[in-house]
Amino acid sequence: MAQDSVGFSSDYQFWMQKLSLWDQASTLETQKDTCLHLPRFQEFLRQMYEVLKEMDSNMIIERFPTIGQLLAKTCWNPYILAFDESQKILLWCLCCLINKEPQNSEELKLNSWTRGLLSHVLSAFKFDTKEVGLFIQGLGYAPADYYSGLLKNMVLSLVSELRENHLNGFNTQRRMAPEKIRFLSRVCVPLVTLPDIQPLVEALLTYHGHEPQEVLWPEFFDAVNEAFLLKKISLPTSAVICLWLRHLPSLEKATLHLFEKLISSERNFLRRIECFLKDSLLPEAACYPAIFRIVDEMFRYALLETDGAPEVLAAIQVFTWCFVEALEKQNKQLKFTLKTYFPYASPSLVMVLLQHPKDIPQKLWHQPLKHISEMLREIVEDQTHGSYGGPFECWFLFIHFGGWADIAAEQLVMSEAEPPEALLWLLAFSHSPRDRSQQRAQTMVEVKAVLSHLKKLLRSPTLSARDLQAAAAESQDRDLRPPSCQQLIRHLLLNFLLWAPGGHAIAREVITLMAPTDELSHEIAGFLDQTLYRWDRLCLEAPRSRKLARELLAELHAHIQ
Amino acid sequence: MESLLQHFERFSEVLAVSRTTHVRTWDPATVRRALQWARYLRHVHRRFGRHVRIRMALERRLQNQWRLEGGSGSSPVPGLTNFQALERCDLLLSLRLLENRALGDAAYHYLLQELFPGPGVPDADPETLQGSLARLARRRSAVHLLRLSGYGENSVLEEDSVLKTQAELLLARLREVPKAEAEGPSRFLSILWERLPQNNFLRVIAAALLLPPSSPRPQEEELEPGTPKTLADGDQELVRWLLTKSDVMAAFCRNLPAGLLTSVAGRHPELSRVYLGLLADWARHLHYDLQKGIWIGTESQHVPWEELYGKFQSLCQAPPPLKDDVLAALESCKAKDGDFQVRGLSIWTDLLLALGCGS
Repeated sequence: MAQDSVGFSSDYQFWMQKLSLWDQASTLETQKDTCLHLPRFQEFLRQMYEVLKEMDSNMIIERFPTIGQLLAKTCWNPYILAFDESQKILLWCLCCLINKEPQNSEELKLNSWTRGLLSHVLSAFKFDTKEVGLFIQGLGYAPADYYSGLLKNMVLSLVSELRENHLNGFNTQRRMAPEKIRFLSRVCVPLVTLPDIQPLVEALLTYHGHEPQEVLWPEFFDAVNEAFLLKKISLPTSAVICLWLRHLPSLEKATLHLFEKLISSERNFLRRIECFLKDSLLPEAACYPAIFRIVDEMFRYALLETDGAPEVLAAIQVFTWCFVEALEKQNKQLKFTLKTYFPYASPSLVMVLLQHPKDIPQKLWHQPLKHISEMLREIVEDQTHGSYGGPFECWFLFIHFGGWADIAAEQLVMSEAEPPEALLWLLAFSHSPRDRSQQRAQTMVEVKAVLSHLKKLLRSPTLSARDLQAAAAESQDRDLRPPSCQQLIRHLLLNFLLWAPGGHAIAREVITLMAPTDELSHEIAGFLDQTLYRWDRLCLEAPRSRKLARELLAELHAHIQ
Repeated sequence: MESLLQHFERFSEVLAVSRTTHVRTWDPATVRRALQWARYLRHVHRRFGRHVRIRMALERRLQNQWRLEGGSGSSPVPGLTNFQALERCDLLLSLRLLENRALGDAAYHYLLQELFPGPGVPDADPETLQGSLARLARRRSAVHLLRLSGYGENSVLEEDSVLKTQAELLLARLREVPKAEAEGPSRFLSILWERLPQNNFLRVIAAALLLPPSSPRPQEEELEPGTPKTLADGDQELVRWLLTKSDVMAAFCRNLPAGLLTSVAGRHPELSRVYLGLLADWARHLHYDLQKGIWIGTESQHVPWEELYGKFQSLCQAPPPLKDDVLAALESCKAKDGDFQVRGLSIWTDLLLALGCGS
């Protein structure tokens, strides 16, 4: 407690100085300083209220002799009164100073003075000419009615001035001066969360002047972005996109905010990730290549930092789905070439990847898969194709559209024919991009062996878990396989379970054998969730497989919890 | 029902008293009772908002208040004007008490405790008094900050906002004045004219006459069967009243700037006729001074040539049909006056020549 009060005392001194500084000069600098400190000052007011409410007014004066000055300066600062809840907290603090039964003239004076301040806060800044005041009173209206109407009208007239400004372009007479626009943006900083001001905020964000430099104040963008992320203000998507296009730090903050949400949400729920993504407006905003590139860059960074964590991979995939959806909706309005979104990728590769499997009959899926595989292989194995980036770039591009790899796995398991080399390569590449060609070849051989074993089992009338285990362990000591290869084989087995007629009966047993650790359970749950999500997107009918997948997923979740 | 109406009347009295020095006698218990009544009436508003019969009964009672208080009280408007006002009656009461210096310290202290309970109180009411009062303070600061940016070039626009807001409030009130008596709105406007600063009032009337036709109401109101759908009626009432009050009309046409008058005349043809008539009257008072070579009036209150010319000039720049009507009127006056072509004989000739429309 003693430490608290020491901390509080020094805070008190700090803010007392600040308030005096802001009070004396109302220059650009002090306004800027005030706006920067508003949230912290509000916190301080809150703390102060907690301290004051325990004391009566005499104690307060004894303990904080200068509190009168502090409160008065606060009351006279329009920026503070305009911000968020500061005016409310200030009122609470003032209430603490009122004495129920003043005993002497000192206490009476204090009461009277405090009442004056309270009155001032509620009827602050009386600028009305006397006539206007008499008119409102004569009509029987209260200031509350008048001020809400006045604010609305002022906002309307400012908005129309801003819009007209935009349309009138070179008609210099009607133009709003850039300084005024900048001032407006500064003044909006404390007011961002007031609903009446929202049209003005929107008009400022979408205002495109003819000045070469940004005319709005950077702190304005920060404040709007914060309020948007915390859902304290609702803006149309176009305004938010304008915000991000004009102020890069806001975009970065918004993306980080999304990442935090994705990390803290439950794993293995792609539908939820999709909701978060759509909610954040980032996929829609990403239709602008500048925004896409920055968000993509941040995803890339996250991927590298987490060493390819499956959650990040999943997020990238869902983000790309949403992005492509948004791009299709945009269709007519925005026309950027693919190269602007993926400057380091081969355009033909991107075009193939962008194809929606739904648009292609299922039996023809092997065609684009082969095509993709060939193109990727060409880039990866041929060192002279420097312009399309190394293996990592290729892989990073590919995992945006990671659904193709999953489709490839399914195709390999389900078909009776000899597994095509191209698909094997694609799978090996997607699970382990950094392998050298020899290692990859080895992986391909292993996978081929497992697949041929599985095909034999496909035809066998009775399946047992042991059979499957044998299939997986075939051809080499299981433990010598690198982990990415093991993962790949696990996925093939799971596919088999979902699709093979006899798979349902043994599914649970196999999974128990496959997943002795929590980590592996998570992986399998992730796989199932991803599969179901993909089937939904592709509108794949497969009632038995779906049912099984859903049941297994539910059981795994219960188990993990 | 009876008890409800009684509550209602008692509260209206309380509201009226809350502004006077009478509150000196109030103790915390009185304040508590007053606030309770206000809260109860708010609850009534919420509950019976859709009950047409109860609403109408209350409205009728309220209209009685208009008749009783109108003209005699300190304001021509009673504290509670209609059912809608019940929604804010606690806010109204609280603000009046907070501003009233005559309220004793103990009572004031109690009031504060009730109004500002602090952070920990769960909001049973979505619209708490605390929230409304804080919002009021916030809005006022917002207005102040926006004004800071407006000074210099655009004080005109700012003035316009002030006038527009007053105009909207005036029209809102006019809607509420009981129509049962045909005289209602006119009488109300006459009282306002007598009591309020006239210059401002005239400007507000002009602004009200120029509001866009589908002007939104300043307070949200659900349209229900039985309420007059008087979105446009307000300004019709104004026009009607202006037409009956020649002194107001004269002041209106004299004191307001020419451009403003032209806009009003363009929107309201009945007023444009009266306006032209007045201009004609004023013109006839001027005579030609041979020595100075100008048209002058004999008495100080006569409208000088420059002003007359200015108003006509503005009218001639208006879009048709107003412009055509004005020119036709001028031509006809010139003809009746002798159809002179030379200056100095007929003021109409000179006006037309000066306007550049002489034939």
